[in-house]
Amino acid sequence: MIQETLFLKNTETFAESLARCGVKYHFAYPITPATDVMKRMAVILPRYGGQMMQMESELAVSSALAGAACTGKLVATSSSGPGLTLMHEAIGFMCAAYLPCIVVDSMRVGPGDGDILGAQSDYFVVTRGGAHGDYRTVVLAPSSGQEIADLVPHGIRLAYRYRIPVVFVIDGVSAQTTESTTLPAYNDYSAEFDTSGWAFTGTKDHAKRALITGSYSHQDGYEMNERLRAKYEVIRDKEQMWEQDGVEDAELVVAAFGIHGRMCRDLVSRMRADGKKVGFIRPITLWPFPDRAFEALGSCVQNILVVEMNLGQMVDDVRLAVNGRIPVHFLGKTGGDLPMYTLADMIAEADRLLGE
Amino acid sequence: MENLSAKYGKTLNLDKLTSYCPGCGHGVVTRLVAEAIEELGIMERTIAIVGIGCGGFSHHYMDIDAIEATHGRAPSFALGYKLAMPENIVFTYAGDGDTCAIGLGDLLHAANKGMPITTIMVNNTVFGMTGGQMSPTTLVGQVTATTAKGRDTALQGYPLLVPEMMRSMEGVKFLARESVATPKAIRKAKRSIRKAFECQVRGLGYSFVEVVVPCPTGLKMRVRDSYARCANEMTDYFKPQVFRDETEQVDVA
Amino acid sequence: MLHKCTISGSGGQGSALMAKMICLGAIKEGLKVVMTQTYGIEQRGGDSTAYVIVSDQPIGSPIVENDADIAVALSSSTYANCFEGVVPGGSLFTNSSMVEAPRDARGFRQVLLPVSDMAVELGTVRCANMVMLGAVLAGTGLLRLEVAEEVVRESLGAKKPQLVELNVNALRAGFAAMEKEGN
Ligand SMILES: Cc1ncc(C[n+]2csc(CCOP(=O)(O)OP(=O)(O)O)c2C)c(N)n1
Ligand code: SF4
Repeated sequence: MIQETLFLKNTETFAESLARCGVKYHFAYPITPATDVMKRMAVILPRYGGQMMQMESELAVSSALAGAACTGKLVATSSSGPGLTLMHEAIGFMCAAYLPCIVVDSMRVGPGDGDILGAQSDYFVVTRGGAHGDYRTVVLAPSSGQEIADLVPHGIRLAYRYRIPVVFVIDGVSAQTTESTTLPAYNDYSAEFDTSGWAFTGTKDHAKRALITGSYSHQDGYEMNERLRAKYEVIRDKEQMWEQDGVEDAELVVAAFGIHGRMCRDLVSRMRADGKKVGFIRPITLWPFPDRAFEALGSCVQNILVVEMNLGQMVDDVRLAVNGRIPVHFLGKTGGDLPMYTLADMIAEADRLLGE
Repeated sequence: MENLSAKYGKTLNLDKLTSYCPGCGHGVVTRLVAEAIEELGIMERTIAIVGIGCGGFSHHYMDIDAIEATHGRAPSFALGYKLAMPENIVFTYAGDGDTCAIGLGDLLHAANKGMPITTIMVNNTVFGMTGGQMSPTTLVGQVTATTAKGRDTALQGYPLLVPEMMRSMEGVKFLARESVATPKAIRKAKRSIRKAFECQVRGLGYSFVEVVVPCPTGLKMRVRDSYARCANEMTDYFKPQVFRDETEQVDVA
Repeated sequence: MLHKCTISGSGGQGSALMAKMICLGAIKEGLKVVMTQTYGIEQRGGDSTAYVIVSDQPIGSPIVENDADIAVALSSSTYANCFEGVVPGGSLFTNSSMVEAPRDARGFRQVLLPVSDMAVELGTVRCANMVMLGAVLAGTGLLRLEVAEEVVRESLGAKKPQLVELNVNALRAGFAAMEKEGN
């Protein structure tokens, strides 16, 4: 496949980008609005010598994903809230097992079975973890089709460099948005990594290996957790990503990820045109959270406004990052005919805070 | 050790003392599985995906790669593995609780998909590892840690007959129930386990063997009594038989 | 360059296809596009509205929020909403075959064209959307006519070659009618 610009739904952009960047096996169970990912994977993966396998529950999906990941090959899955909930058993397992994989979550309104409308309500479950034990997954939050295509290679490299599940989250509105996106030419990014030191490919390749995440000695369990702790520290230190603009002299900083983060670009250029000192920070990694972007804010910043398509999730991390130094305000919404704020809503709230 | 290896081959690794209780049926089944792998010459490309429970230790006694799956999900792990590495031989090994309580959905769908993987279900009619609680295969009236007055069918239904549930599935190419109650039964079990692996080696489809075994600890019985129970009450209900054997038919691989 | 478009119509009128054609043409011109469709329950009675943003820069907000500079109402049931969502200085293209009592536009231009009737004359009412697309191109310079024709050929050519000519003619008829209006 060559580099080309296509007009695709962002769910399809995920499928195309993953396949073009080396994913060979995709496991999934239908759920709106994530189903388009598996549908397109079913069509395109055979062209790359791979396959999509439909399973009969998300528990089975994530277990098959884990089984396939044991071979060292690049594997992925896609789902939405209720499905992601079920997948956590294996996600926690893969963290303990040092297995790389890619998970795509098209977020919808919850809790419960919820609504197929888009939301950003899985922030907690992906950054805090929905499974037991001390574990982390890398979480990437692209805000447009182009950013999906641009971040997938990076996500794959992170998954293999750290041998960790990497979760992409996108709100369901963006997931169903159709955009022009320049897709990369085929390149298997996982091939940059040598998996022969750990993959479970049979004793023809190495002395017996056993993947054990339980029934170990107390000391082994302690050491495993210390190794995980050290790994997470390195990721925290090296892998924070965000976009920012206009924060140097800003009186108000708006913080948002995904679609609201993308809208911040317009918000800042419009308000700046009116002479208002507004900047924005758009976290791209939700874990590790870009604390550094907030720590670096100068004393000119009098207020931070966090905008989310939920009832207040990322706002907790912003508060932790500023640690009481700057007042943090929240604008959040979930559900409704338009399950998010318009630019006009965001500007009105920003104006109100500037006026205070 | 030399002697043992001469007798059992390279797959079985008895350097470690097994962690099974004395008289546990897992010991026998683990050996039969190792022998089948050895005889088919597939040790270097065979991967054990074991469940959670006493059977989860089985791979420690075999010199093959192993993955300890999450509870009940070994069949789904195996499907994913086999899709990504079809040239390897993948089998799951777990108790009745793992396989047909928490894992029944994963199991039946894996069987129904018919991909060439192999499942060994070791049925001792209790949750052994957690201390002898009721499992779906606990016999009617059987006293366990959680059925003090015996399994009550009004509340808990009847013991689950797992291979019988797979009889209508076209993708299941070898289907059997065996036991380890007597030396003769063990010889039959050995044949079926070997055929189950052969079924996969030849790419025929899914293969399943349930092996009925004693768990003296979970049943709070002396070893000898637990074998007698295995030969009588247990196999009266869980009747050993080969339900389907397509390894005898034409080779498709 | 930045255009925000609202393209609306009722079931079968092909407003979504019209929006898609604009997007495909814009991509051919090396522009960026975003298309969103009616959100959630708002969609009623088979009405459908597609929102398209075309720009030569990466697109920020993907949402058209009552600030369209190009609006199209193919049916009377979508007309009122469309009318409300035009930005001052923008253009509203109204299908006067369907909208019997158009309102007076203040602060923006309204073009009244009987595209359904014109489509019937061309052979089938189904190509009203393409007549309208031709008119929009002539009236706004959103895309060149040749580019739109190329998109029609590429998207219909393979599957329904017999429809290519009809649709190209519809595009041209709409384009010519708009030019005659003296835009
Ligand atoms: C999700 C989950 N639930 C419960 C347990 C606790 N647990 C460990 S082993 C086991 C049952 C094992 O019974 P069985 O599969 O019959 O195997 P046996 O020990 O008898 O060989 C249970 C319930 C667990 N590890 N994980
Ligand atoms: S508890 Fe039962 S199944 Fe477990 S090792 Fe002991 S005898 Fe075997």
